[in-house]
Amino acid sequence: MSATMAPRRRMPRPARIGLYVFLFTAALAFLLPLYVMVATSLKPMEEIRLGNLFSLPVKITLAPWAQAWMSACTGLECGGIRAGFMNSVAIVVPSTLLSILLGALNGYALSFWRPRGAQAFFVILVTGAFIPYQVMLFPLIRALAAMGLFGTLPGIVLIHTLFGMPVMTLLFRNYYAGVPHELFMAARIDGGGFWRIFVQLMLPMSLPIVVVAVIMQVTAIWNDFLLGLVFAGHDWLPMTVQLNNIINTTTGERLYNVNMAATLLTSLVPLTVYLASGRWFVRGIAAGAVKG
Amino acid sequence: MSPRKPVFRHLVAWLALAPMVATVLWVYVGSVLWSMRISVSSSRTLPIGDYVGLRQYARLFDSERWTLSLQNMALFGVLFIVACLAIGFLLAVFIDQRVRGEGVLRTIFLYPYAMSFVATGLVWQWMLNPELGLQSTVRGWGFANFTFDWIVRQDAVMVAIVIAAVWQACGLVMALMLAGLRGIDESLWMAARIDGIPAWRVYASIVLPMLGPSFGTAFVLLSVSVVKVFDVVVAMTQGGPGLASEVPAKFIIDNLLVRANIGLASAASTVLLLTVLALLAPWFYARAHASRRAERVARALRASEPPPGVTA
Amino acid sequence: MTMNASRLGLALAIGLALGGSAHAQANRAEVLHWWTSGGESAAVKELANAYNQAGGTWVDSAIAGGEQARSAAVNRMVGGTPPTAAQFNTSKQFLDLIDQGMLNNVDVVAARNNWDKILPAPILNSIRIKGHFYAVPVDIHMPAWFWYSKPAFAKAGITAEPKTPDEFFADLDKLKAAGIVPLAFGGQPWQEKITFYAWLAHVGGPDMYMKLYRDKDAAMVASPQFKALLTSFKRLHNYVDPGSPNRNWNDATAMVISGKAGVQIMGDWAKGEFATAHQTAGKEFGCFPGFGPKSPYLVAGDVFVFPKITDPAQVKAQQLLATVFTSPATQVAFSNKKGSIPIRTDVDVKALDLCAQQGVAIMKDVSRQLPSPEMLISPDLEGSLQDIITKFWNTSESADDAAKAIAAALKNG
Repeated sequence: MSATMAPRRRMPRPARIGLYVFLFTAALAFLLPLYVMVATSLKPMEEIRLGNLFSLPVKITLAPWAQAWMSACTGLECGGIRAGFMNSVAIVVPSTLLSILLGALNGYALSFWRPRGAQAFFVILVTGAFIPYQVMLFPLIRALAAMGLFGTLPGIVLIHTLFGMPVMTLLFRNYYAGVPHELFMAARIDGGGFWRIFVQLMLPMSLPIVVVAVIMQVTAIWNDFLLGLVFAGHDWLPMTVQLNNIINTTTGERLYNVNMAATLLTSLVPLTVYLASGRWFVRGIAAGAVKG
Repeated sequence: MSPRKPVFRHLVAWLALAPMVATVLWVYVGSVLWSMRISVSSSRTLPIGDYVGLRQYARLFDSERWTLSLQNMALFGVLFIVACLAIGFLLAVFIDQRVRGEGVLRTIFLYPYAMSFVATGLVWQWMLNPELGLQSTVRGWGFANFTFDWIVRQDAVMVAIVIAAVWQACGLVMALMLAGLRGIDESLWMAARIDGIPAWRVYASIVLPMLGPSFGTAFVLLSVSVVKVFDVVVAMTQGGPGLASEVPAKFIIDNLLVRANIGLASAASTVLLLTVLALLAPWFYARAHASRRAERVARALRASEPPPGVTA
Repeated sequence: MTMNASRLGLALAIGLALGGSAHAQANRAEVLHWWTSGGESAAVKELANAYNQAGGTWVDSAIAGGEQARSAAVNRMVGGTPPTAAQFNTSKQFLDLIDQGMLNNVDVVAARNNWDKILPAPILNSIRIKGHFYAVPVDIHMPAWFWYSKPAFAKAGITAEPKTPDEFFADLDKLKAAGIVPLAFGGQPWQEKITFYAWLAHVGGPDMYMKLYRDKDAAMVASPQFKALLTSFKRLHNYVDPGSPNRNWNDATAMVISGKAGVQIMGDWAKGEFATAHQTAGKEFGCFPGFGPKSPYLVAGDVFVFPKITDPAQVKAQQLLATVFTSPATQVAFSNKKGSIPIRTDVDVKALDLCAQQGVAIMKDVSRQLPSPEMLISPDLEGSLQDIITKFWNTSESADDAAKAIAAALKNG
């Protein structure tokens, strides 16, 4: 990978302009739904009912945002999505750490040590990623209940770790496949054992792909609704449950401005993670994608 | 350079892989087996242990809704994967041209990935609705004959759903491609310029093949989304108009939760899994074959190289 | 390893604390329901306040979306941590749970409060299974009201509510001529389903309705009268706007609220949307429950079931819930906020709005009560019929083919 960023080739001026026009238009198209969401979240319901989707708010009101955070009704309580925020954090942090750790370990063992027959397990694991979660609920509920973990924080962390394993293992396995085998052999000759090489050599080298994994897992677990609903128990319900209670209703009235504000607020956490690790993201995926 | 204790080496590795093995066996294989067992029972709201043969499967294949959902998934899959790969690649290529504001552009194309479809799906429903969204706005600008009502038409609603799904997913594909592009050596571009090869030829004949692995990873991730597609359909159309945008995951979940038909839902998910396996098996086999060949080549190369530490 | 120990210690401490406080919480009841919008929350507050005042402690577990909440309840029962009470509909949804012995009954409360005397027959039939009372009803909703915008009617020159289906179609034509969307409609499968059985009850009549849902009468389904009913149902499609597919029911009500549309056929929960828009029944909008003075009144509703828990303290809490939910004062307070009507007719209804008072008066006439389809058929059959109706509504399928499909579904379901 080149460290210097020298210009590739000189592009003719019209082509350069065409390039910017294309990117600009694409950016506008991508931003259009965001515009509608933000505009709707700043309008009062009377204006939304009139149905002018793309119009700017006549008078901007921040009340929906305050309501979404603090006072929207989510059942008996009307405390907004704030109530579940700390629960989501408590779930996301250990789940992300554990699933990435296991994914790295699996990828390392599969890539370098290659015990015979492990490849078959890996293939089944990746196939498992295609199964919708709902199908696996009942047996998992029974199993977790038997272990006394159903409806507990360790239980939901375990579930997220298990379900994150396929993609995480795939990501790390591909990354380590791009690491030169000589490095590993040299470490073995120097007397390194399984764990020493992992902790002292491979993990420090994996920083870019770890950041990628963090982004994917934080997004997936933060936005997860079903698994948190089923396995987290009454005391640890994540923010997405409150979000669902605000947005979804069978026969209740819908406050679209509050719904949009609540969704935007919820998405701020993954977005912040993206922004904070933007440059790492690109660098990291590169190595992981060497061998598909 | 032979490993000292081959047996011990394998043991430690297997120990480390024990969580993965346990997960595979207990979570995935176990659940699938359990689901298959339920699919030959008459379970409704709760699992029952009786045996009714293939009655659920017969009902499944008789169901117009299931057949339609498979067709929709196929259509969605082709359009979605092709569009995401193509648009993701193009965006990556253009951003890679040393444009200004690359960070901003990357975030703009990536932000949809951060949002769950529950609310964004509704926004798309509104935007694509002929009375409320783009069609009525453009007509208001004076283009009286502009039509964009795919979402309310039986024959075009899946394409409308593809649009929203591509919006959400192609940022991730773009990032994958961009990283792959960044991994291509600068000297390649130099050489191409010296040789006078036009840029598009370089991309078509050299860059695209080199990005094969990136395309491969993206393909797997996108395929998983296709098989599990649910949120976008429920948020945008609830499977309508009529049954025109039904998808297998929605069929399964409806029967599981709403219609109290666990037996039928299990049969459907078994059929879905077998379909996925049938489609993936050739690809896995080809990759295993290729990696075995690559390993043989690599081993031969290593055998012919001087051991590390010895100057060549 | 130390992290595990301190985590364990923390869990232990939390467990002890919770266990300790549980004793201090008399009649602690965790209630799982799906009432999460503003109006519904106010209604649940009435239930919770009444329960707390009666000496209980209400712990709220709200999950939006009926299917999600019901499946969460079932999952928790399977996982061994059931809530004290869980919301279901007056339907066959919880029959499987009864068959598998997963519910407690509340015969004690039913006997003490003479439920068999004060509750209407459709409700009694759906909560009394094999002679035992397995659910407590909390409200009655009617899914087949007609809501109309008074300004829109005035603009179209309609002076009186239609008394027959023909008058209704004539009014729809007048609305169309005046440039107003005649029928505000949300093209989601469940809305198409309730519009169909509303039309079947109001236009086909209670006889035809019961022959379909209770008797599953194949001869009736093949009859020309039923096919004519299907055709007149499809005729409504001429009066909806092209943007109707996929629309949320709230957005359709919004069209009536803003006068863009004339009429909506929807349940009495629509009052919540009108209330949020600060409109009052009789002033900006009107409501009528059907055509003519003997129109049927469809009875649907919400109930709470009690998962099988042997702990005597929990059983006591369950019985207290059942008692409080059905007391007259709670019923009136709850119905007022919920937009439903009380389950008992021996209550003072002055506090309820115009449409609800009309509903209560109609309920006193036993001959007009009609059970909703989900009380009569299984969720599976209801789903199959919904698939047929949505296909019939959205495609150019003939009434003959639709009738054939319905007959086939009734035979299998």
